[in-house]
Amino acid sequence: MFKFGFWLQRVAQLLIVLLLVTFGVSMLLRLIPVDLATILLPVASEEERVMLRAELGFDKGPIGYYLQWLGNFVQGDFGKIYFSGGTENVSDHLKQAMPRSLLLMVYTQVLALAIAIPLGVLSAYRAGRRSDKVISNTLFTLSSIPNFAIALLLIIFIGVKFAWLPTLGYVPIAEGYWEHLKHMIMPVISLSVGLIATYTRLLRADMIAALREDYVTMAASKGLSDQRILWRHVLRPSSVTLMTSAALSMGGLIGGAIVIESIFATYGVGFEVFAAIAGRQYIAMQSTVAVIALFYVFFNLVVDIGTGFVDPRTRDRRVNA
Amino acid sequence: MSSLLSIKNLGVNFDTARGSLEAVHGVDIEIPAGTSVGVVGESGSGKTVMCRAAMGLLQGSNVKRSGTVIFDGHELTAMSKEEVRNLFGSGMAMIFQDPMTALNPVRRIGSQLSEGLRVRLEMSKKDAMVRSKELLELVRIPNPTAVLNSFPYQLSGGMRQRVMIAIAIACNPKLLFADEPTTALDVTVQAQILQLLRELREDLKMSMVLVTHDLGVVAGNTDYVAVMYAGEVVEYAPTTKLFADMRMPYTEALLESIPKVDHKSGTRLAVIAGRLPNPTDRGAGCSFAPRCKYAQEKCHKEHPELKKDPDGHLYRCWYPIGVAL
Amino acid sequence: MRKFTKPTWLAISWLSLMMFFAIFGWALPFKSWNFVYEDDLEVGLFSNGHILGTDSNGYDLLSSIVAGTRMSIFIAIAAVGLGGLIGSVLGITAAYVRGKVDTVMVTIFNVGLSVPNLVLALALVSVLATNVDINQAVPTWRRVMVLIMSLTIVLIPILGRIARGATLSWAGREFVTAARSMGMRDRKIITKHIVPNVLPALIAVAFLAVGVVIIAEASLSILGVGIPDGASWGGMIARGRNDLEYAPHVLYVPIFFLALTVISTNHLGDVVRAQLDSREAKV
Repeated sequence: MFKFGFWLQRVAQLLIVLLLVTFGVSMLLRLIPVDLATILLPVASEEERVMLRAELGFDKGPIGYYLQWLGNFVQGDFGKIYFSGGTENVSDHLKQAMPRSLLLMVYTQVLALAIAIPLGVLSAYRAGRRSDKVISNTLFTLSSIPNFAIALLLIIFIGVKFAWLPTLGYVPIAEGYWEHLKHMIMPVISLSVGLIATYTRLLRADMIAALREDYVTMAASKGLSDQRILWRHVLRPSSVTLMTSAALSMGGLIGGAIVIESIFATYGVGFEVFAAIAGRQYIAMQSTVAVIALFYVFFNLVVDIGTGFVDPRTRDRRVNA
Repeated sequence: MSSLLSIKNLGVNFDTARGSLEAVHGVDIEIPAGTSVGVVGESGSGKTVMCRAAMGLLQGSNVKRSGTVIFDGHELTAMSKEEVRNLFGSGMAMIFQDPMTALNPVRRIGSQLSEGLRVRLEMSKKDAMVRSKELLELVRIPNPTAVLNSFPYQLSGGMRQRVMIAIAIACNPKLLFADEPTTALDVTVQAQILQLLRELREDLKMSMVLVTHDLGVVAGNTDYVAVMYAGEVVEYAPTTKLFADMRMPYTEALLESIPKVDHKSGTRLAVIAGRLPNPTDRGAGCSFAPRCKYAQEKCHKEHPELKKDPDGHLYRCWYPIGVAL
Repeated sequence: MRKFTKPTWLAISWLSLMMFFAIFGWALPFKSWNFVYEDDLEVGLFSNGHILGTDSNGYDLLSSIVAGTRMSIFIAIAAVGLGGLIGSVLGITAAYVRGKVDTVMVTIFNVGLSVPNLVLALALVSVLATNVDINQAVPTWRRVMVLIMSLTIVLIPILGRIARGATLSWAGREFVTAARSMGMRDRKIITKHIVPNVLPALIAVAFLAVGVVIIAEASLSILGVGIPDGASWGGMIARGRNDLEYAPHVLYVPIFFLALTVISTNHLGDVVRAQLDSREAKV
């Protein structure tokens, strides 16, 4: 039941956003009051800098530069990182960082949803009662504590005082799954806490609204148990907002987890952006930000498709809207 | 005559921010086995709440139910939620006013219809689907296989109501609560659905409680009628008796507000002036007194008890129509 | 006006204390926050003369907190004020005018929202804080200005979208149509009819935005691009990471102040929104 025109329009909208983001970053670079070639090659000769300007398109004016960057980017050439001793490809950096960010994001989502869904269902079922209030207030307080604060407290207690878990670094799955997980536990918890609160809250509100619907009374009048009604009848129509929020936060977790990635030294995409910015590697920054925006736009599209599966009404309704 | 459902002194209160709201008060109704009983009243008169309270379907911590409900020998009001639940489907079932909101929007008709069969009758998935198809045929749905695979939003209003009836009768209930089953439908479809309910009732030997605000619907479809006003039953009689010889001024007013075939065009319909009383604050007198054209001083001061004619006709009025005082 | 609950009073009291620190902190009898108490390095909580202890530099944490409150609160209020003003002007105009203006504005908001907050802030800070002579350090006051500007830009699409949404739901109502049919000017309709109705929603979000900015400032400081050697809560946390193993109280103190402030602003935002919802329900 895919309406082709609708999807075409949606994809076009997202592409425009993508183009504008990358163009905006490009313009931002031109605002820097210093010669970019001098920044990238601080100790090189003037001829080398002239060559670099030509190679990167700095000499072409803002639009020309952008188009050249875009052409390279689309072909998979993300530019280079410049050292005193030579260069490295940004794409190689991202190849290393991306799986780390993706795994961090997936673990965080799984943990957050695994905790938030039962809590949301429970607090909606017990709405207004003691257990609901305890859950809501605890989560509200926890969600106001920034993730870096949670990360630092985890490091102080679990990492240093009790020395249960390593506090730094990333171990690939290939080097042992248990070691890999041990390094991921604290970053994942730090990132999940806020999400758990958000997800629980969204699910609770939607479920409370759904529990007032006639189809719930109808299900009860069929003689179904409360458990079955909650999980089979109410959860799915109530989870559209939750799914939307979850999918959108995926985009934010790729690249947005900068502080956590740098505190725990699990260098992912967010850290790459940070490193590029701190090291004045502006080409790397431009390409990495573009990749992050690409993920954001991709997950936006996933939301559109996903809600159609969760709630079949939206598949048809959207087209009319 | 044995009663299938016997409701005694049923009361329902909702705790709200503005105090306790008494939605149903002192309702007594007997539903003899094999009969159809109409419950009539304006919107807000407590018909729906009364039915849901009788079945124990009112949810929430702010709902308080009092009185006794006895169904088929089981005292529902003294049973646990799980015990009452075991009577649903095969004992009691309910159909709802708006089939759009009463069917789960994200589940296919097939799964909603077969669910009761699988949970209550413990049928296998395959058997339940076969039976579901038969049920759809029973409620005269033309292409049952396609409908089983549809979502509710893909069906018309009349079709959805037929599906809901199929779900309700799936486990052969002895008593069917039909809560305004035709209100949300087109007039032509209304007649078809009522016809269907009538036939099913005969075929399956079901009793029925038909809730409606339309006396016209009650006329051809019920054996007894209970008229509700402000959460109370104000008159109860065999249907033919009620139409021929009503006691309550309210019933009279309700009947006068229906258009009739022999009305000349341009005839003004009677309107019941005023509004239902505030359910958080009932006055001392008869709750209909402020709107009643026969009301006298006593009506405003004392709440009338339910009175009984020798033939079993019940009414709640100090100055009933057609009774010499 | 409904009576406040106990948590609401606590939140108001805490924020009042923070405002007091921010405004009158200079008058408190402390030495400069970076005065080095050479004999009191890493003294614990509730020590003689240093209620909140000192860090490994010998800075007194209480005077650091008071100075940091001024910086964090100033940045937060400035960014939320500016971002809220610009965002709501853009959002309200877009929703009221509709058509092409709206489409363009929504696209701009989406562009801003498609990059994670912190990435956007980082990029802006790094570009705006680059000196013409890159080897010369950027003075603190300019860093503060850059930080406020960057966070303002981050907030504009967030707050603008809220303002647009709220305006859309009000601009379609009868009283606006009625005002228009009576020949009221658009500008007057917006100021008389739209703004008063949209404002509560914006205030609720502004409280949340204060929390967002405080956390973002702290995050940037931890990454070393905030106000590196200045006094802000984030700066204290960044410095405190060095003392993490031997004097964790150096971290507890700023985290406690920061978290409690964010909890308070979030709670007040919630209270405003709850009041708004109950008002909506009555309409």
